[in-house]
Amino acid sequence: MSDVTSPETELASLGADTPPGETMIELKDLTKRYPGQETPAVDRLNLEIPKGEIVVFVGPSGCGKTTSLKMINRIIEPTSGQIIMDGQDVTTIDPNQLRRRIGYVIQQIGLFPHIRVGDNVATVPNLLGWDKERTDARVDELLDIVGLPPDQYRERFPKELSGGQRQRVGVARALAADPPVLLMDEPFGAIDPITRTRLQNEFLRLQEELQKTICFVTHDIDEAVKMGDRIAILREGSRVAQFATPEEILTNPANEFVEDFVGTGATLKRLKLTRVREVEPTQALIGVVDEDRNELRRRFEESEWTAMLLLDEQRRPMRWLRGTDLRSSRPITEVGVRARAIVEPQATLSDALEEMLLGAAGVAIVVDRRGAYEGLLDVDDIITAIQTMKDAQAEFYRAAKLVDPETEEGA
Amino acid sequence: MAFFTEYLADPSTQRELLSQTVEHIYLTAVPVLIAVILGLGLGILAHRSPQLRSPILSVVSTFLTIPSLALFAILIPIVGIGATPAIIALTLYALLPIVRNTVSGLFSVDRAVVESAKGMGMSATMRLWKIELPNAWPVMLAGVRVATLLTIGIAAIAALVGGPGLGQEIFTGIRRIPAAGSLESLLGGTIAIVVLAILFDLLYLAIGRLTIPRGIRE
Repeated sequence: MSDVTSPETELASLGADTPPGETMIELKDLTKRYPGQETPAVDRLNLEIPKGEIVVFVGPSGCGKTTSLKMINRIIEPTSGQIIMDGQDVTTIDPNQLRRRIGYVIQQIGLFPHIRVGDNVATVPNLLGWDKERTDARVDELLDIVGLPPDQYRERFPKELSGGQRQRVGVARALAADPPVLLMDEPFGAIDPITRTRLQNEFLRLQEELQKTICFVTHDIDEAVKMGDRIAILREGSRVAQFATPEEILTNPANEFVEDFVGTGATLKRLKLTRVREVEPTQALIGVVDEDRNELRRRFEESEWTAMLLLDEQRRPMRWLRGTDLRSSRPITEVGVRARAIVEPQATLSDALEEMLLGAAGVAIVVDRRGAYEGLLDVDDIITAIQTMKDAQAEFYRAAKLVDPETEEGA
Repeated sequence: MAFFTEYLADPSTQRELLSQTVEHIYLTAVPVLIAVILGLGLGILAHRSPQLRSPILSVVSTFLTIPSLALFAILIPIVGIGATPAIIALTLYALLPIVRNTVSGLFSVDRAVVESAKGMGMSATMRLWKIELPNAWPVMLAGVRVATLLTIGIAAIAALVGGPGLGQEIFTGIRRIPAAGSLESLLGGTIAIVVLAILFDLLYLAIGRLTIPRGIRE
């Protein structure tokens, strides 16, 4: 407030004085209390965001992470507390001037549907009064950076783009005036998983060059671990349960809340890290195609199985046969149902589970590299595997806690 | 149909119908224009202020429930007979669709779009003119179109209070039933109004084509 320079000059220097690694944004006792609500949505949040890093706010829905983020560019006005950006309290700056210097990407993207992609990207440069030449050059440069050839995409309307392309335009628009700070609210939340992974990777590559200071909100711990240089795990009221690097959070959760929060998502993630070969398969009732039909029938009737897996001469799975199929007079290769859900030993348990859920039989058939039958994997096997992982994890956490004295709640 | 073509072939009828059509267009365009200006303001106000929304919408809805003949009659002692009471009454009727569609048009704009505009540093006024109104425009235009068609129809009744327009031809016919030529007048006035309505509808189609940005056209 004591500063007498105009907002424009103050803002032009935003970020210029802070060397990399030092605090770029400092939240001091940041509080948001909505009228008529007993508990504050954000309760005295204190956090230091280092320059050039991605800090992820992650937590269960309703924990106040989005509210916290939106107070930084004053989309939501704080009830009390301070936001110091580059040594300056942002609540003293004109909010519109402030926002022009902070990139903003939201989950729904919010591209302006009535204007073209190029004009969308040019929004902030236009607000800042750049001349047309500079703006046009910048728009083309940005579309290039986010992987949308300007000649092809500049003149399109947002409705003519796919979800992933829209998200790229959203990022380009946020970067248009080269803001030192980016706020991203679940930016990849509404995109299909494959595209999301690609966009995440591209964005991380981009950030290596740009070195922006980024606040990133997500509810997905996997995404937090992937994107964050640092993660703030938030609980109700935006209270910080732990603020640390992803490695630190995974190996040394500060408290049960963090453990639970990381744990639920981490288990499924672990399924991607465990291979089928690490799990002992169950043996099915098998028959080979050149065996005598009556012999197959006898074995089937003596067993307790409800189906038999028929293999070809190279022991590759062919068909699932039931009693009626074995008794019928039609050729054995035409009865029953085709064997599906076949996985190789190097597939992950996550792949196997997916195959199981897709195939009708509820089991996955494990084959070796040449496709020859090795055994079966069912849902129970996967559950057992998960259980084992959890136990191992718990052991690990307990051991880690014994050696680390800082086990108290809060960071 | 022979009797009707005879009626239409008469040059005096043609002159009459033509001048009444021009009057009718005037009687439609002026109230709609005033209603657009008032309705736009009221609509934006109702969208912005939750306290004013309900009163504004109630009042403009109430106008439409007053029987047109009664409203014309009420206005006569205040403003006299002729076009004036008709224009005032028709303006009041045209308000509802315009205000309603302005409000719902503004509400139909994706909140994420408005929020990202705000997040990029657009002021409230800029957001309204550059983002909200252009995106609400298709719905608003539909409201103006409905208001216009409504006005064309109701304007016929203005003839009963000495107003101009094609209503005169219709009521000339009604008054003279069952005299010769009464049916022709009745039909002539009615058909002219229907044709006028269709022409206005086409006009709005063209306006829509010209003014709705390609990015939000269906």
